[in-house]
Amino acid sequence: MTVYLTGNNLQIQDVIAIARNYQPVSLDSQAKKTMLSSYRWVQEASRQEKAIYGINTGFGSLARIRIPSSQSALLSWNLIRSHAAGIGPVAPEDIARATMLLRANALAKGVSGCRPILVEKLLRFLNQKLTPVIPMKGSCGSSGDLAPLAHLGLVLIGDPMGEAFLGGVRMPAPEALQKTGIPRLTLQAKDGLAITNGAQLSTAIACLSCFDAEQLIKAAELAAAMSTEALLGVSRAFHPSVHQLRPYPGAIRTAHNIRHYFAGSTLIDSVPEKVQDAYSIRCSPQVIGAARDMYDFVKRQVSIELNSATDNPLILLDEPEHNKPFSAGMFHGEPIGMACDTLKIAISEVASISERRLYRLTTGNLSQLLPPGLVGKDRPVLGMIVPQTTAAALVSENKALGWPASLDSIPTCEDQEDHIAMSTVAARRCYDVIQNARRVVAIEILTAAHALEHRIAHRPSSQLGQGTKVAYANMQNILFDLSNHSTMGEQIEAIAQSIHNGLLFEGLE
Amino acid sequence: MIVLNGQTLNCKILHRIAHGEAVSLDQEAIQRMEANANTTPSTVLEAKRRWIIGSQTKESEHLNREFILSHCAGVGEPLPESIVRAAMAARINVLATGHTGSRPIAALKMLELLNRSIIPIVPAQGSVGAAGDLAPMAHIARVVCGYGPYPADYTPLVPTSKETLSLINGVSLSAGIAALAIVRAERLFEIATYAAALTMETVYAQSQCIDPRVLSLRGHPECVEVGQELGRILHGSQRVQSDRNPDAFSIRCGPSVMGAILNTIRHSRMCVDRELNGCSDNPLLIEGEWLEAGHFHGSQIGLAMDHLKIALTQLATLSERRTFRLTHEKLSKNLPSFLVKGNGLNSGFMLAQYTAAALASECKGLAHPASVDTIPTVQHHEDHVSMAPIAARHCLQTIDCLTDILSIELLLGAQALDLRKRDDQLPHPPIVQTLHQTIRKHIHFWDDDQVLHPSLSAMRRLITSGELLQHPETW
Repeated sequence: MTVYLTGNNLQIQDVIAIARNYQPVSLDSQAKKTMLSSYRWVQEASRQEKAIYGINTGFGSLARIRIPSSQSALLSWNLIRSHAAGIGPVAPEDIARATMLLRANALAKGVSGCRPILVEKLLRFLNQKLTPVIPMKGSCGSSGDLAPLAHLGLVLIGDPMGEAFLGGVRMPAPEALQKTGIPRLTLQAKDGLAITNGAQLSTAIACLSCFDAEQLIKAAELAAAMSTEALLGVSRAFHPSVHQLRPYPGAIRTAHNIRHYFAGSTLIDSVPEKVQDAYSIRCSPQVIGAARDMYDFVKRQVSIELNSATDNPLILLDEPEHNKPFSAGMFHGEPIGMACDTLKIAISEVASISERRLYRLTTGNLSQLLPPGLVGKDRPVLGMIVPQTTAAALVSENKALGWPASLDSIPTCEDQEDHIAMSTVAARRCYDVIQNARRVVAIEILTAAHALEHRIAHRPSSQLGQGTKVAYANMQNILFDLSNHSTMGEQIEAIAQSIHNGLLFEGLE
Repeated sequence: MIVLNGQTLNCKILHRIAHGEAVSLDQEAIQRMEANANTTPSTVLEAKRRWIIGSQTKESEHLNREFILSHCAGVGEPLPESIVRAAMAARINVLATGHTGSRPIAALKMLELLNRSIIPIVPAQGSVGAAGDLAPMAHIARVVCGYGPYPADYTPLVPTSKETLSLINGVSLSAGIAALAIVRAERLFEIATYAAALTMETVYAQSQCIDPRVLSLRGHPECVEVGQELGRILHGSQRVQSDRNPDAFSIRCGPSVMGAILNTIRHSRMCVDRELNGCSDNPLLIEGEWLEAGHFHGSQIGLAMDHLKIALTQLATLSERRTFRLTHEKLSKNLPSFLVKGNGLNSGFMLAQYTAAALASECKGLAHPASVDTIPTVQHHEDHVSMAPIAARHCLQTIDCLTDILSIELLLGAQALDLRKRDDQLPHPPIVQTLHQTIRKHIHFWDDDQVLHPSLSAMRRLITSGELLQHPETW
């Protein structure tokens, strides 16, 4: 089903559907009309005397210099080319696609003074799977992700220095345009700014991270339920009445989910003399729940940004004033930078407590009489000890990556842009942290599954919980598909992948 | 052919091996290894095996295989080939010390893979750097011993039980990465000195800050050295003179800051050079006796790499501030804004400074020390670990950012120098002239806006290929 962009109602799941699952996307007809009005206004204004930023002035601190209207298009062309200063690793396909989509949606609001054709070209890129080469390093996130978006701009204008992927092949932009039959964009006044002015790369990464974080939190709750069962845990710490007394929504939900997953298990509460478990079990609702609350905050921020105008100046035709362009700082990436820093700390903690649970599972005197290291028939040597070390390394790496990028600012542009966001760095780090965390939780699931096997072998009449049973079976199927030669590392990656693509959760309520 | 003997390896040599040079094993080292491998493993070894393996079973090929495969728990992106080569060569050198109880064949088999460029795929993450880089080294050992896929014309090692341990029980990956980091850091330091000199030339810097009489009053020899090097590069300058106002800190304090950085680089190199010839294994065979210690703990490398990346971050922030000055009309002694003619239509090198700022900020994030952390592992037996491989990998990432930051300063410096020449008609100092010509061979002067990316890439290549300052190796 086609998603129609209006600039007002794009949601995170739409971005996933389009960026990762290639759902078609189109421009809403009303949005097109609104765009046209603001475009006509800019065309008119660019012929007038009055200075309007970026239309008949230079950029940044060069706004002090007037540009003749006849050169507005050249100004846009120069902007795209001189701003293509990105370096380093190229954005993966989903990130590059999300970046295009978000830029298109911001322009669809119709306050940027650009033509619908610009958005329609971006949407053709998406629908025809033409993906620009966008280097991810070197953007400060304000005034927007200028360099990365300028690389996208190079492809739009068919510049030979631009590059794109088509069917997995990297090629110069003109070739990619020719192969897809998309005519190159001829720039007009304000087009350069419309393409580059906004933190869309940061937001694209933040948006995908949000989706991935939610999957991860769900997996962490499932893993916690499996470990609690395997360690013959006490269910009272998850009781709803307990959590109503400290009513954080996240903790209430996490406690509910974990309880739901292990409900029906004969292993839970099976040690009558045990009154409470260690923190990594007993405090899972408080820790994972706190991460849930942070996630909700981040999701709200990202959802606002997805439907925001981030351009400068904005053309507000409905305002009564005669002077329609409003110069402000809507491109500043701070809301996204701080959100990503928040999310990466929250997710680091989800992984951190996961590692402590799986440490217990592999540690003889902490595991309620499981074999030390979970050494068993199919793992005679070292059992699951080494994966615990892997998890510790990943958790530690997250700590080193935890330094909040948005804390920093370095003045740019002759001190005109004297406080900047670093949102792109924050977003990239957040993405890395989530990948590390996903592997940690995968290791817990793998370890807990081995522990549960030991419990079942010891007492064959044991029943698993209603949720853990499903996850356990899914996990077995995923591992079954691997080759006989697969390493422990490859098994971990396979489980991590199943968290990412949702296979682990199949059949789970 | 580079000869490994367990005693004379250093960062520079390892860097050459990492980038393709062939290796052989020293004859004396082979004899040493042979002699020691014939010593019967003591009961200590059996006890350790029982503890590690959790099994009473006697030595068997099956258990050796399981032991290595159990450690193949690395995750994440595969490491670049150069890093895996460095780790392999570093490990061969440890075996060559003769104290691991490994037979020469164990080292020779790994050496064969290295020389035939059969490079195992090693996932980057999963090691805490104590007891050694177990997981990544196991991914290498898996190929050496043929426990995973290997080429048909390779005959795998059939290891003894101690060899299975000795192939993986040390921080050879961390040390390997660290060695590459040191060599690159040294080159970048040299390049940073040229970049600083170029910027000084273009902003008519005052020369008093590099006067040896001034610098020697503070007693840091490295600061004097940096001052002398800047003086050498700027020799013959008619723009850098004494009778000027003092410059901003990013210029004037160059010798102070860079001297401190140089000191750190040298200290780190000393640690890594020692580690490369250290016997990072356990237990160790000494005069016929098996002794247990903690030589696999990566603290030396972890601290050295954390220290180094902090120092390199200072090099990055210093260069970025000089770049900022070059783009700023009011701070550059009247170079045009963004180093391009001022008609407002061109943004010139505006964005290059943004890129430098973003990269400098990234360095600050990466500078957070990895070695301050430790997480207990292996049933609380390995209860203090080093996180050295994380420190080392983050150090390499810092170096990556720094390479581009320095590229940007040089790119802008070259443009600024041409603009100056048009105005003042003064000759360039000869060394600066040569530097400028090398850059201009690949990157043209900008009259109008161009796509920045290709110039940034070309400048980076000049650094990494070694062409800029005639360094022999590429990386």
